[in-house]
Amino acid sequence: MEAEVIKANILLPTHLSFKRMQMSDKYPKGYARGRHWKHLKQILQAENYQNFPPTDPNYVNIESPPSMYPSKKFCDITGFEAPYVDPRTTLRYANANVFKSIRSFPNEHVQRYLSLRNAAVVLK
Amino acid sequence: MPYATRPSRQSDYNLFDSSCPIVIDNGCFNFRIGWTGESDPRITFRNMVQRPRHKATGETVTIVGDHDPALMKYFDCTRSSHRSAFDGNVVYQFEIMEYILDYGFERMGADGSQVDHPILITECVCNPVQSRSKLAELLFEGYGVPSVAFGVDAVFSYKYNQQLGVCDKDGLAICSGLNTSHIIPFVNGEPVFEACCRTNIGGYHVTDYLKQLLSLKYPNHMSNITWEKVEDLKMEHCYVALDYASEVRLFQKGAKEAEEKNRCWQLPWIPPPAEEPPSEEEIARKAAIKEKQGQRLREMAAAKRSSRITELENELQGLEFLLHQLENVQENDVPSFLSETGYISKLEIESAVVRVTQSLKKAKREQVEIEEKMDPSMTEKYTLINIPDNMLSPEQLKEKRKQLFIKTTSEGRQRAKQKRFEEELDRERQNELDEKKRLGKRLKVNGTHTNESHNSSGGVGRGERLNAAQKERMRLLTTAAFDRGKGEDTFGTRDEDWQLYKLMSKDIDDDDEGQDEDEAELARVTSRLQDIDPTFVAKSEIGPFQTIVEIPRFRPLTKEDFQIILGVERFRCPEILFQPNMIGIDQAGMDEMAGISIRRLPLKGNSVEERITNSILMTGGSCLFPGMGERLEAGIRKIRPFESPIRVVRASDPVLDAWRGAAAFAAAVPFSEQTFSRQDYYEKGEDWLRRYNLRYTF
Repeated sequence: MEAEVIKANILLPTHLSFKRMQMSDKYPKGYARGRHWKHLKQILQAENYQNFPPTDPNYVNIESPPSMYPSKKFCDITGFEAPYVDPRTTLRYANANVFKSIRSFPNEHVQRYLSLRNAAVVLK
Repeated sequence: MPYATRPSRQSDYNLFDSSCPIVIDNGCFNFRIGWTGESDPRITFRNMVQRPRHKATGETVTIVGDHDPALMKYFDCTRSSHRSAFDGNVVYQFEIMEYILDYGFERMGADGSQVDHPILITECVCNPVQSRSKLAELLFEGYGVPSVAFGVDAVFSYKYNQQLGVCDKDGLAICSGLNTSHIIPFVNGEPVFEACCRTNIGGYHVTDYLKQLLSLKYPNHMSNITWEKVEDLKMEHCYVALDYASEVRLFQKGAKEAEEKNRCWQLPWIPPPAEEPPSEEEIARKAAIKEKQGQRLREMAAAKRSSRITELENELQGLEFLLHQLENVQENDVPSFLSETGYISKLEIESAVVRVTQSLKKAKREQVEIEEKMDPSMTEKYTLINIPDNMLSPEQLKEKRKQLFIKTTSEGRQRAKQKRFEEELDRERQNELDEKKRLGKRLKVNGTHTNESHNSSGGVGRGERLNAAQKERMRLLTTAAFDRGKGEDTFGTRDEDWQLYKLMSKDIDDDDEGQDEDEAELARVTSRLQDIDPTFVAKSEIGPFQTIVEIPRFRPLTKEDFQIILGVERFRCPEILFQPNMIGIDQAGMDEMAGISIRRLPLKGNSVEERITNSILMTGGSCLFPGMGERLEAGIRKIRPFESPIRVVRASDPVLDAWRGAAAFAAAVPFSEQTFSRQDYYEKGEDWLRRYNLRYTF
């Protein structure tokens, strides 16, 4: 180990006295593929919230509903209020200048702008 | 907070009694750990783990929290980036969680065989039981912790501020964290989780949105726009607009206030070294070299020419000598004499003489012309022209006549040249016009098939009057028809001859009057303009949708090219907390959530709603944006009845209050009654954890 690294003291020691089982024994090297942690979606699925009364608060039912207000349209590029939509790229834009720049964007740019508001075409 | 200094290992771990709880605020962004009863956490670090491979030794090491990126040169980070134990705001990756806890306890100074202290750790609202039990399992079995308690960070923060007198026992906690935002109503000092409300949007989304917007706005500086830097920019410059629409309109108009609100981030930029203009000596030296080269070429050409002249002269002399000898030779001996020389007849020799003389003359003339060109002042050659005859000697008179002759011929030549040049130009212009007319014609033919019926093309009936162009065409057609076979056929030797066909073809005459009056008018105006200004070119083919793309000219990069301007982005990015629709998340924003939460309250009446809205507390890292309180107040005022009391306050320290509240809670005596002991874990198991709920008031 380089002196600089040791001096900065950034590494976690491999042996810690207060642990019942050291990390290297608990998660032996080379078995990383076998370990899988349930993602949040899978955890929630396994919680079986449907078996409990709906009045009990749980992780799923405390979530906010969709907004009651009509969603406002904003220009994807500048953030101004956008009265127009480009039919070719489906980007929203505020004025002619923005439109000009939209038309000069490469497709990758357009898709990235669309994905900002979750509207990009996703090919699976 | 880039590369916060590494926390140093605490040395007073053994001074604490084993009943003294350790308090952990396990936030998505920062992990804070400390002792109960203290005012601040001992250790705070980023809740992140990186497991790179050490390059020199090849072993995989574990780095928790922030660190100096300069040290990363010793590590191979290609296969491991920063990893978090959280999915949303729920802990799911317990391997990473274990590394983080390891680091936390290690920095606290733990050195016994186990961590022999009760633990109070924060979790999200309505944490799934699986996550909670796994964490309990880790703490009991991994570290030998005697007992554990779980609480909600936002509630601790509210309770702490209630003790400080910032908010009342009935109220609303608005907590905006890294991944999620919560609204938790409080009645009688207890959180009402039935009525709470979560939107999956937080500071992470704001930073990500800002980063994406900036990297799309400045694609050239993509590499400079790192996550850490954008986070700094967000904390430094972003604010919440009181009314997004009117604020953005200010920027759209380009008002002066808007310009003052722009912030500029100057990227490191070194001006390129200015190119010095070449010095006088350099220019002179280059010119001299050029001159020298030109001189050499000229000399070579002159030498070549003179050698050719002498050669021709020699040949001529030889031929003349031959002719001379031929005169002396007898008639009979002529053939034999000629056979020796290689010529067949005297005639041939004479023709050879003529040929050689001609080429000799040509070579000499060339030389003269070159000399003329080299002579810059034309007038010097004609020195005698302007002198009256009577002042000159006979020889000079002769000379003068010669000069006059040369001058007139050369001037004539010049004039002819000029004329040819002009004709060429005219012809080109004519060609262009024809081309354009033909194109126009073709378009029209393609476009208007239906108009064919009313015959307006070149065909002219008998007795109708012809205009000049039509007359000319008829003349050409007749001459072409009757000239055939007469005399020598030289047609086609000159380029102009081929123009004839264009004149003859129907396309040439303006036959489209009446078809499209506008077009005719345009053509008339164009021709008139061309009369006035011969260089005028009608741009009829450029339509309204054809944009003229200007070729960007190369220009040196300046300081301005390395600036990143934050304008609308400053309040556009935090705006997603209030309008999650902007980034495609279909959930209510923060102000609307407050209304939903109040609606969800199970026990209403007794003016509890008014009391709640009169004590709204903002906590969590994303509540640090300036203008947040005003905006929340305005938004909540919209959804509450007229003249409802509304009071929005910011927590005394939105970031640290959760830990402080937890520490204060753990210090109180009844804390030990609410913990979940190892005994309980082994006896009651997971299901008990489901019903486990902390009571926050004593």
